[in-house]
Amino acid sequence: MPTIDQARIRRARRHDRLARWIITLGGVTVIASVVAILLLIVSATFPLFRPARSHSIAWTRLPESLPAKDVVGLGVEVGVGGHAVEAATAYTMLRDGTIRFLDLRDGVKVQGEQDLKAAGAARTPGRTIVAVERHAGSRNSILWSDGSVSLVDVALAPELDERGLRRMKHVVRELGSVAPEGEVRPQTALVRRDEEGGLTCARLLPGNRILIVRQVANEDLFGDAGIKTYRTTLDKGIPGTITAIAMDTEGNTLYAGTDNGRLLLWELTPEAGIRRQETAPAFRDRRAITSLAMVFGDVSLAVGDGKGGLSSWFEVGRGRQRKLELVHPLRSHAGPVREIHPSQRNKSLLSLGGSGAIHLDHPTSERGLLSLDDPKTPLQSIAFSPRGDAAIALGTGGELRLWLIDSPHPEISWETLFGKVLYEGYDEPDYVWQTTGGADFEPKLSLVPIVFGTLKGTFYAMLLAVPLALLGAAYTSHFTTPGFKNAVKPVVEVMAAIPSVVIGFLVALWLAPKIEEWILGVFASMVTIPLVFVAFMLLWQFARRYEPAKRVENGYEFLVMLLVIPLGAALAFAAVPLLEGLVFDGNFKLWLYETMSTRYDQRNSIIIAFGLGFAVIPIIFSIAEDSLSSVPHSLTAASMALGASRWQTMWRVVLPSGSPGIFAGTMIGFGRAVGETMIVLMATGNTPILDPSPWNGMRTLSANIAVEIPEAPVGGTLYRVLFLCAVLLFLLTFSLNTAAELVRQRLRKRYGRL
Amino acid sequence: MVWATGAALAAVLFFTIVLLGVVVVNAAAVFWPEAVGLVTFEDGSRVLGVRLDSAVNPDTGVRTVRFKTGNRELDPARLDFHWYEADQIREIAYPEDVFVLERLENGNFYGFLEAVRAPNLDLPETGDSGEGFRWALAAARAKQAARIVPLTDQLSSLSDRLQSVRHAVLRAEYEKKRVLAGAPAGATARLDARLADLAEQEHELKAQSDALVVEQQGQEAELGQNAAVFRTGSGATVEIPLVEIVRHYRPNAMGFGQKVAHYFSKVGELLTENPRESNTEGGLFPAIFGTVMLVFLMAVSCFPLGVLAGIYLGEYAKEGPLVRTVRIAVNNLAGIPSIVYGIFGLGFFVYGIGGLIDLWFFPERTANNMPTFGTGGILWASLTLGLLTVPVVIVSTEEALRTIPRGLREGSYALGATRFQTLVRVLLPMASPGMMTGFILAMARAAGEVAPLMITGVVKLAPDLPVDGAFPYFHPDRKFMHLGFHIYDIGFQSPNVEASKPMVYVTTMLLLVIVLSMSSLAIWLRSRMRRQFHSRTI
Repeated sequence: MPTIDQARIRRARRHDRLARWIITLGGVTVIASVVAILLLIVSATFPLFRPARSHSIAWTRLPESLPAKDVVGLGVEVGVGGHAVEAATAYTMLRDGTIRFLDLRDGVKVQGEQDLKAAGAARTPGRTIVAVERHAGSRNSILWSDGSVSLVDVALAPELDERGLRRMKHVVRELGSVAPEGEVRPQTALVRRDEEGGLTCARLLPGNRILIVRQVANEDLFGDAGIKTYRTTLDKGIPGTITAIAMDTEGNTLYAGTDNGRLLLWELTPEAGIRRQETAPAFRDRRAITSLAMVFGDVSLAVGDGKGGLSSWFEVGRGRQRKLELVHPLRSHAGPVREIHPSQRNKSLLSLGGSGAIHLDHPTSERGLLSLDDPKTPLQSIAFSPRGDAAIALGTGGELRLWLIDSPHPEISWETLFGKVLYEGYDEPDYVWQTTGGADFEPKLSLVPIVFGTLKGTFYAMLLAVPLALLGAAYTSHFTTPGFKNAVKPVVEVMAAIPSVVIGFLVALWLAPKIEEWILGVFASMVTIPLVFVAFMLLWQFARRYEPAKRVENGYEFLVMLLVIPLGAALAFAAVPLLEGLVFDGNFKLWLYETMSTRYDQRNSIIIAFGLGFAVIPIIFSIAEDSLSSVPHSLTAASMALGASRWQTMWRVVLPSGSPGIFAGTMIGFGRAVGETMIVLMATGNTPILDPSPWNGMRTLSANIAVEIPEAPVGGTLYRVLFLCAVLLFLLTFSLNTAAELVRQRLRKRYGRL
Repeated sequence: MVWATGAALAAVLFFTIVLLGVVVVNAAAVFWPEAVGLVTFEDGSRVLGVRLDSAVNPDTGVRTVRFKTGNRELDPARLDFHWYEADQIREIAYPEDVFVLERLENGNFYGFLEAVRAPNLDLPETGDSGEGFRWALAAARAKQAARIVPLTDQLSSLSDRLQSVRHAVLRAEYEKKRVLAGAPAGATARLDARLADLAEQEHELKAQSDALVVEQQGQEAELGQNAAVFRTGSGATVEIPLVEIVRHYRPNAMGFGQKVAHYFSKVGELLTENPRESNTEGGLFPAIFGTVMLVFLMAVSCFPLGVLAGIYLGEYAKEGPLVRTVRIAVNNLAGIPSIVYGIFGLGFFVYGIGGLIDLWFFPERTANNMPTFGTGGILWASLTLGLLTVPVVIVSTEEALRTIPRGLREGSYALGATRFQTLVRVLLPMASPGMMTGFILAMARAAGEVAPLMITGVVKLAPDLPVDGAFPYFHPDRKFMHLGFHIYDIGFQSPNVEASKPMVYVTTMLLLVIVLSMSSLAIWLRSRMRRQFHSRTI
């Protein structure tokens, strides 16, 4: 007898221990990482709901040479490279008509100075600035003490130098000017320049009048370019004293607010005529309107009032008229709203309240994004950088504060994702998914039509798949011969292996045109196949009385059915011309359009039912068949022995025992249908509509991801919303599968005991 | 009611048969050389074409017949297919001397051979124009192989070198910026010298390549003068350069054997050649290669990990609520939609890890918006697919281990074997067929999966294969082609849907053959294994 080699045993034990450690470590790591990385998808959506963040990067004072009370205009721009602020420049416009550029990194350094007094055609020596209004980020309408107005573009453009660092370039350009009108001294003035170079100037004059001057560049008959000037005074039908005015970038619409809570709107013709005047009683309590500004996109008007309320308004169709209505109320300030600065990147608004609080809000999502409070310093004015990434505040004592603002997804809230929103240009609140914002620069990201589309597609697919798969499973598990059962199961498994892109392609390019052509035949065969089936059954009952039919063994019924189905279908197609002529006036699609007012899309829900149904049938079938087969034979045998028919046994004995499996199969099939991508991508029109009709298509969560993600910039709102779609999909399928899995485990336990 | 259940099963089988039947019928006929008819209309005009199908207009009751008439460049609307009214057709003849030409551009050409004009080819004198045409074609191809192909090869290697020089320039410029940012001027003398050197190299390579291009164009122009003159059905004569002709045959003169030979030569072309004419003609080799490569990389990356995790769950983990939860979770991961894995792959692999790799190793390219790994590629696509199949592998490994009778384990322990020895010597060999089945099913699923690839790096036309002769031979960052995506792309994004349909069917057929043979193999393996176990346990 050989002695046991101790060293060898030790080695084996060492290997064993080592292997156990490695396998345990490896196994745990793999499982943990598979689960953890899926959690990463969730984390990609978090920034959508995070409030905006601010970061104070400078807190200094204006130099002694620049007293705060002389500052009439303010602007700021920052250049951020990587994570560092590489350039931060502000400019101040002074009453004396000069502009100073201030470098705000490490204290305040005056970088440059420019005199604006030389601007304008007819200039008075020694004139000073009365008021400055800013629009479109960099354009300043400057009202001079002599009554003239000029439009000056002050652009701060960060650019890269040869070392790859950002430097601020300042460019000051005068875009136009309007001469004074007599001796009147306007209180405020707005100038707009359209793309052809035409100027529109609105001056608020004492005595509650607004003087409009339009300078239109035109060519006369001889091709000489000239400038035509039109004038209008708006003074009729103004219910109260005008306290604030605003105008769109093209100079076609002028808004005004009064001290007794009225909003006025004038639409101007190119010749400065009044096309339409509208007066809206804005607030019941007749609070004064203190500040107006156009929201980015020039459709909405931001209104600040004397009680600190901030709201956005636009015209909504009511019947045949269009009415200016309050659409989005925003957070209130403690005192009257003094300034509103729109962002030039999205519809966010930066506002300064009477108490000195600065708010950043987004009208569409009605989200209060940020509050910048500094009660110790009374503020004189604020400014917003054109890209909306920085805000500057000037205190009455010359204090300067600069904040970096990080507000990447202001337009997203639960309300905009899942609720009805009244978007600009719409008359009713609606669920809209539209990523390429049209002229109004606003992507509309409601997930409701997408989720609805997912459920609609799944519903139609399950309508076809569940009965077929479950009945088929019942037949295979208990009614057919073991030989057939062993043949059918692999066929179904092969069916499960057919790639979805193949199904999608066939359904979209082969089946869809066929069904479009034979749509009535398809419906007719839904009637004729059962009819032929019943007829055949009656015939069979009759035939069974005779000897040869009696000997036909049970279990081969489906072979006969393979003949009955095409027979029924053929009958249906034969009946189509008759039916179409009798009932549908000769053209079904036209009839559908005229009587049901639905258009027939070639790629519709019926197509999806076939494609998606075909994809999930094998899954439901396999699981249901397994669970029905696992019902112990003793039960069915006992039932049959008591004289129950095959169907009674199935219905009363097998189904109750196998129902958890059937439930599980349906759930898992449902989950598969919800997440299937290629079939819906190819076989639907991918139109995000909310319409349960079977005649048109849908867009599902999965197809939505596949369609949109190539166009979505990394880290942008759309990108994260698509990740949110993935999370929804994940949660939906994961919960369905978990439910099914738990049921299956219970089932397994129960039959373990039997 | 029993009959109703039978009917349901029959319907399911009916669908399957119809689906497979449609693919097989449409795909199998694609390469069969169809007879080309010379159609004479009532008004005396003639056209050559292959008769396809006919339809009756439901409104007017007029029967129309569709022909594939080819000769796209001659058609005013540039169409390959035309509908003709059946009443207008006087007769259809099938002359034996109709040629079908497959060309590099503009699809098929149908016509009669008139003459061969080959000014710069030396050809033997033959009386038969058909013979002369074959000689000329062979000579033109030989000349092309001798003169132009080497030039093309040189050009492509030059462009590779040019590309690497340009990358070096980018890198040097990037370094220069970095040095400048932290140091006074003058510290960049070495980099400046290098940049100057690189600029000179680039200039030289550019000049060389320009010269080659000129030479190539000259050669091509010279070779292009050699043409064959054909007469179309309507009687117009057309000169077709010999180099444009890929394949020629006379279907009406072919016997059955010749047609079969033609069929298989087309299948051979399909499997080994590159696609032409925006993927609607030619072969599928890059797509097949991409699919196989993808599945291979996926298998390499996910099988070992999946097996490790499966063994842990099946053999080592202590049964408890945690392990049960993990098992359910893993089971469920297999049911998560593939697009979710795709978007994860995009966010984590492509933009996350790929972005980091770019930041560390190729910062200069990132700065110039030329991502290397930070964009879709075959590596990321295969890892994404791997992630998708890991749960399947874990589950099948675990299942395979669980089906081994307890007695075998106990027997092994009783003989003094350690756990590891039992695992390696007893359990794994016994479980391997089951695991194999799981692997093959996973591979079949991966081969047919398209949605996650669409967002992680598959493209409609990849200029280079992921593996080639240029250092470092394997390029995991390259984009690739894929059979499944090919179906989607040419079926749905192609400008000429009608002309691309045959190719879609053929691609579908090929993908189906690959996937179904893999899964049938798995099913067969499993049934054999079941029998084995039954005999062993009893």
